[in-house]
Amino acid sequence: MVCGSISLTRTVIGLLIAFSIQGCVKSAPETAQVLHLAHPEKVKGLDPIYSDDIYVADEASRVYETLFQYHYLKRPYTLIPNLAEAMPEISKDGRIYTIRLKKAVLFQDDKCFKATSRKGRELTADDVIYSLKRLVDPKLHSTGAWLLNGRVEGVSEWHQAAKDSEVTDYTKEIAGLKALDRYTIQIRLLKRSASFLYSLAMPFTGVVAPEAVAYYGKDFSNHAVGTGPFRLTEFSQNRQVWVRNPTFRTEKYPSEGEPGDREAGLLQDAGKTLPLIDKLVVDVYEEWQPLWLNFLSGKLDRTFIPKDSFSQTITAGKELSPELTAKGIRLHRFPLLDIVHLTLNMADPLLGKNKYLRQALSLAWDADRYNSIFWNGRSIPAQGPIPPGLAGFDMEYRNPYRQFNIKKAKELLAKAGFPEGNGLPPLIYNATADSSSRQATEYTVQMFKQIGVKVKVETYSWPEFQTLIRNRKGQIWSYAWNADYPDSENFLQLFYSKNASPGPNDSNYSNPAYDDLYERAITLPAGPARIALYQQMVRMIAEDCPWIVQVHRMGFHLTSPGFGNYKPSAFYHADAKYYRFDPAAQVGSAGKN
Amino acid sequence: MKKRSLWGEALWRLTENRLAVISFGIIVFYALIASAAALGLIASPWETEVGGSYQAPSSSAFKLWLGTDIFGRSVLYKVIHGARMALGVGLVASLISVPLGIVLGALAGYFGKWVDHLIVWFYTTLSSIPNIMLVIAITYVLGKGFGAMYIALGITSWVGLARVIRGEVLKHKQRDYVLAAESLGCSHFSRIFRHIVPNIVHFGIISFSIQFMTAIKTEVILSFLGLGAQGQPSWGIMIDDAKQELFQGVWWQLAGATVAMLFVVLAFNILGDALRDALDPRAGRGIG
Amino acid sequence: MWVYVLRRVLSSIPTLFGVALLVFILFHVMGGDPVYQMVGKHASAQQIADLRHEYGLDQPKTTQFLRYLQQVVTFDFGRSYATRQPIRQMILNGIGPSLTLAIPAFILTTVLSVLISLVVVYFRGRWPDRLGVVLCVLGMSVPMLAYILLGQYLFGYKLGWFPISGFDAGWPQRLGYVALPALIWVAVATGYDVRFYRTALIEELGNDYVRTARAKGLGEPGIFLKHVLKNGMIPVLTNVVIQIPLLILGSFLLERFFGIPGLGSMMIDALHGSDFPVIRTMTTLGAILMIIGNLATDVLYTVFDPRVRLS
Repeated sequence: MVCGSISLTRTVIGLLIAFSIQGCVKSAPETAQVLHLAHPEKVKGLDPIYSDDIYVADEASRVYETLFQYHYLKRPYTLIPNLAEAMPEISKDGRIYTIRLKKAVLFQDDKCFKATSRKGRELTADDVIYSLKRLVDPKLHSTGAWLLNGRVEGVSEWHQAAKDSEVTDYTKEIAGLKALDRYTIQIRLLKRSASFLYSLAMPFTGVVAPEAVAYYGKDFSNHAVGTGPFRLTEFSQNRQVWVRNPTFRTEKYPSEGEPGDREAGLLQDAGKTLPLIDKLVVDVYEEWQPLWLNFLSGKLDRTFIPKDSFSQTITAGKELSPELTAKGIRLHRFPLLDIVHLTLNMADPLLGKNKYLRQALSLAWDADRYNSIFWNGRSIPAQGPIPPGLAGFDMEYRNPYRQFNIKKAKELLAKAGFPEGNGLPPLIYNATADSSSRQATEYTVQMFKQIGVKVKVETYSWPEFQTLIRNRKGQIWSYAWNADYPDSENFLQLFYSKNASPGPNDSNYSNPAYDDLYERAITLPAGPARIALYQQMVRMIAEDCPWIVQVHRMGFHLTSPGFGNYKPSAFYHADAKYYRFDPAAQVGSAGKN
Repeated sequence: MKKRSLWGEALWRLTENRLAVISFGIIVFYALIASAAALGLIASPWETEVGGSYQAPSSSAFKLWLGTDIFGRSVLYKVIHGARMALGVGLVASLISVPLGIVLGALAGYFGKWVDHLIVWFYTTLSSIPNIMLVIAITYVLGKGFGAMYIALGITSWVGLARVIRGEVLKHKQRDYVLAAESLGCSHFSRIFRHIVPNIVHFGIISFSIQFMTAIKTEVILSFLGLGAQGQPSWGIMIDDAKQELFQGVWWQLAGATVAMLFVVLAFNILGDALRDALDPRAGRGIG
Repeated sequence: MWVYVLRRVLSSIPTLFGVALLVFILFHVMGGDPVYQMVGKHASAQQIADLRHEYGLDQPKTTQFLRYLQQVVTFDFGRSYATRQPIRQMILNGIGPSLTLAIPAFILTTVLSVLISLVVVYFRGRWPDRLGVVLCVLGMSVPMLAYILLGQYLFGYKLGWFPISGFDAGWPQRLGYVALPALIWVAVATGYDVRFYRTALIEELGNDYVRTARAKGLGEPGIFLKHVLKNGMIPVLTNVVIQIPLLILGSFLLERFFGIPGLGSMMIDALHGSDFPVIRTMTTLGAILMIIGNLATDVLYTVFDPRVRLS
C-alpha cells in the first residue's frame, strides 16, 4: 500500500499541475471578425415553425429568411422587402396579396441537394408555399399556425384533410396560397386585415427547402439549410456557431435610418455588402453571474439587464457607470413594446362579478414606486395595454383606475361590500417559482395589504402555472405580453372573448360590446377610424379592470467595445447580418479588474 | 468505585469534549435567538424599511450592521429570522425521518420475511431515485409551503437510518436478553420497542443531528429551484438572491446567511461526531 | 457467485418496477400538463386536444402507465417533449461533459479523503485530528451554491485563474473549463468522505486483533499500515464503488453555473418543463445505475472479506 500511495501522489500532483496549466493558458486572441453572443436558455432547435420560443426565433432567423423584413434602422418599425422583390400588390378590397420573389436567391450548399450535386439551388415560389403549408400541417403542431388558420382561404380545409389522413399531402392545393408562376405567390385572405403583412416578416414564415426536410427527417431541427447570410457549422442546445454564407446574394447595409443614427455611428457602413462579420458564436448561460462576469471580462459581446430581474446593476445612477463607460461598453435602451400586468381572472366567481373590487385593487397598486424600486424609474407606468410607439397609444390618456389612490381604493372596496377588507376571504395570488418573481410577489402582497386585502401566495412551477391559467383557474397572477408585430391589434386581441383561455386572453374577459368593436376594427385599414375604435376599446378595458396594467418595460442591452452597428429591436430577429466586430477596439485589458 | 451506566458514561465523555460542549452551546444560542425572533422579542419587525435599497453595512446602527436588501430591509434582521426557518426545517424534517427510520428499520429487521422484503423493496426504490428529484417531486405534489418542504425532506432521508437499524435489529434479535424477554411472554411490540430499540436508539440520535444539518443545507437548493419558503426570510433565499447581487458588488446578504449557516451546521457536525464517539461503545476511544 | 449475481439482478426487477411506478405517479399526479409547454402563446383548444391525443395523454392513466412500462422495457427512450430530440442522443451528448467534470473530481476527492483520513486517524485525539475534522466539516457546512458564487467571482473573474464558465468539447481544452467546478466539488465532497472513513478506521482500531498486535509488540506504524489499512479499506472501497455509477448524473448546480452541458442540467430542465419522457428516462437510468452500484459493492465485499458469504 505504501508503494501504491507514492504513485498515487504523483498522479495527484500531475493532475493538479494539469489543471493549473489549463488555467494559465489563455487562448490566442481572435483576429477574425468573431462575435460572441448569449442566450439565457437552451435553444431547442432550429425549425422555424416553432419560433414561438424567442431563442429558436433568433437562431432560425440567421439562416431562414422571410418574404419581408423590418427596416433595421427606421422607427417606427417599417416593413421592407426581403425575399420579395418589392412590397406586395394588394387588391382593392384588401384581400388578395400578389408577391414577386427576387430571382437568383440560392439555398446554401448542402448534401441534401442530391439532384444538384450538393450545390444549393434557386429559391422558387413553390418553396414559399411549402414552408407556409408546414406552418399549418397538423402533424407538425407548429406554434405559428395561428398566423394562417382562419385568415387565409382554404387553409382550414387543407388542415382538416391532413388531419384525417395518415400522411399530410403537400401536393394538395390550398385555394388561398398559390404559386402563380416560378417567382410569384398569391395569397387570398378571408377578410381584409391590416396586420397580415407582418405575418410574412415573422420568423415562423422563414423559407425552408423541401429537400432538407426530407433528407434530415426528424433531425431537421438540428440542421439548417436556408438562403440566409450565415451557415451553421455547429449546433447543440448549448451552443451554435455560424459562419458567413459564401453563396448569399448581395444585400447592402441601409443608407438611411432615423434621426440620431448617424451620430450613433450606425450609418458608417452604409452601402456595404452583408454580412459584415465572419463568425458568430452563441452560447447559453443559464445563470446571471457567469453571464455578467464573462461580459465584464470581454469574452462576451452583448448582455442584457434581465427583463425580470430587479437589479440596479449598471444603471444605478440612471446612466452607465463610469467604470463601464471607460471600458468602452455601450448601453442601448429600447422600448420592448410589451405590457406587464396583474390579471384578475374574470372566470373566478368572486373577482369576475365584482367590478368595484377589481377597481379597488387597481387603485391600491402603486406603479411608480414599483418602477423606482425594480426598474430604477426606467420603465413606463402603463395606462392601458397598448405600449407607447404603436398607433393607438394615446399620450394624453390617463386611466382613472391606475392613479394610485388609497382613499378612493378603500371607498370602492367598501362599495364592493368589503369595508376595510372585512368579509373578504384571502385572495389567492398564483405565483411562479423563480427568484425574480418572488420579490415582485412580495411587493404586490404589501400593496394590497394597505387597503386591508389579505393575499395568500401559492407558487407553481411554470408548467403547473400554465396548466392552471389555461384552464381558467386561479385568481390573481402576474403576466406579460410582448408584441408579435407593431400593431395595437396584437394587444387588443387579448381581450377578445374568442381568444379566452387556453388562448391568449388570459383574463377570460368576455364583453359582447368589446367584441363588436374589435371585429369592426380589424377589418378597417390603418387610419383615424381604426384608432378611434382602439381608444374606445382601451377605455372599456380600463373601466372593467380585468387587468391591473403595470408597466411597459424598456430593454437594456450592453455591448462590448468591439461590437458595432448594434440597434436592438423588439421583434426583428434577423439583424445579425448588420453587426460589425472590430477586434482592435475590443479591449484585451477588459479582463483585468 | 461506582460504575456509570452506559448513558452516564456517554454523557461523561461528551462533557469532556470541549469542542462538543461549545457546539452544543452554539446550537442552544441559535435556538434562543430563533425563539426570541419568533416571539417578536428581537429583530422585529423584519419587513420594515430601515434604509435605502442595497445599502452597504455600516456600524451606525445595530440593524445596519449587515446593510440592507433590495427593499431596504435589514439584512441582519433577516439573518436572525432566517434562523427560525433553518431550525424549524431541521427540527421537523429530523423528527419525521428519525422515527420513520427507526420504526421501519426495526420492523424489517425483526419480522423478516415478507415484511422485510416489502420494506427493503420500498426503500431501495426510494433511494434509486436521485434524492433531489424526489424532494422536488414531493414538494410539487404537496403544493408549496413549509409543510410540504418539511415533509419532503423528512420522507426522503429516513432510508440510511432504516438500513442501519435493520442491521442492528437483526443482530440483537438473537441476543440473550431478547430471547429472555420472549420466554417471559413479552409481545413482539414490547420486545422490539421496549427492549431492542433502547439499545440502538443512539444511532437515531446521531442520525438526528446529521439530518438536521442536511435539511438546512437542502433548503438552500430548494430555494434555488424556487421551491423554498415563502413570506419568511430564509438563509436559502438570501443565498439564492446573491446570484444576482454578487456581481453588482452586493455581498452582505450572501455573507450574512452563509456565516450564520456555517456556524450552526458546523456545530451540528461536531456534535454529531462527538455523539457518535460517546455513544458507540465500540469506538476506539481511550484504548491504546 | 454468478448465481448470486443473477439472483440479485432478478430481484432488482421489482425495484425497477417500483421506481417506474413511483415516477409515474409523481409526475402524472402532479406537475403541469406538458402540452401547454408545447403550444405557444396563441393556442387554441383544438390544437391542445390534438396534441394531447398524439402523445396519448388523453388516455386513461392505466393505459398510459402500461405504455410507459413497455417503453422502459424495450429501452425506447422516445423524444423529449420540449426539444423533440431523441433522448438517446441527448444522453449521449450529455455523458461526455458530465463525466469530464465528475471523474477528475471524484478521483481527486477519493485520493484526498483517503489520505486525510489516514493522517487524521493516525494522530487521533491530537491536534492534526481536530484540525482535519474541523476543516472537512467546514467544507461541508458551506452550501455549494455559496462556493460557486464566490469561486466564480474571486477565482474566475477577479483573479482570472480559471475561466469563469463555459465548455469546450476539444481536448485538452475541456479540462481547463472543469478545473474550477471540480475543485468546488472536491471541497464539498471531501468532508463527507473523510468523516465516514475516519469512523470506519477508528472502529477498525478498536478491534481485538489490534490490541493483540500491540500486545505482541508491533509498533504503531506497523499496525497501522499492515492491519488497519487493509481491513479498513473495505468500507472505504465499498463507499467509493457505490458512488461510481452515479457520477454520470453529474452535479446540476455546477453544470448550470459553469455552463457544462451535462446530464445534471438536462435533468433540472426537464423537471422545470414537465418534460416527462426525459424525466422517466433519467430516473430509470439512475435506478439501474444504483442497482449496479449496489451489486458491485456487494460483490467486492466478498472479494475483500472472505468471512462474508453471499447468502
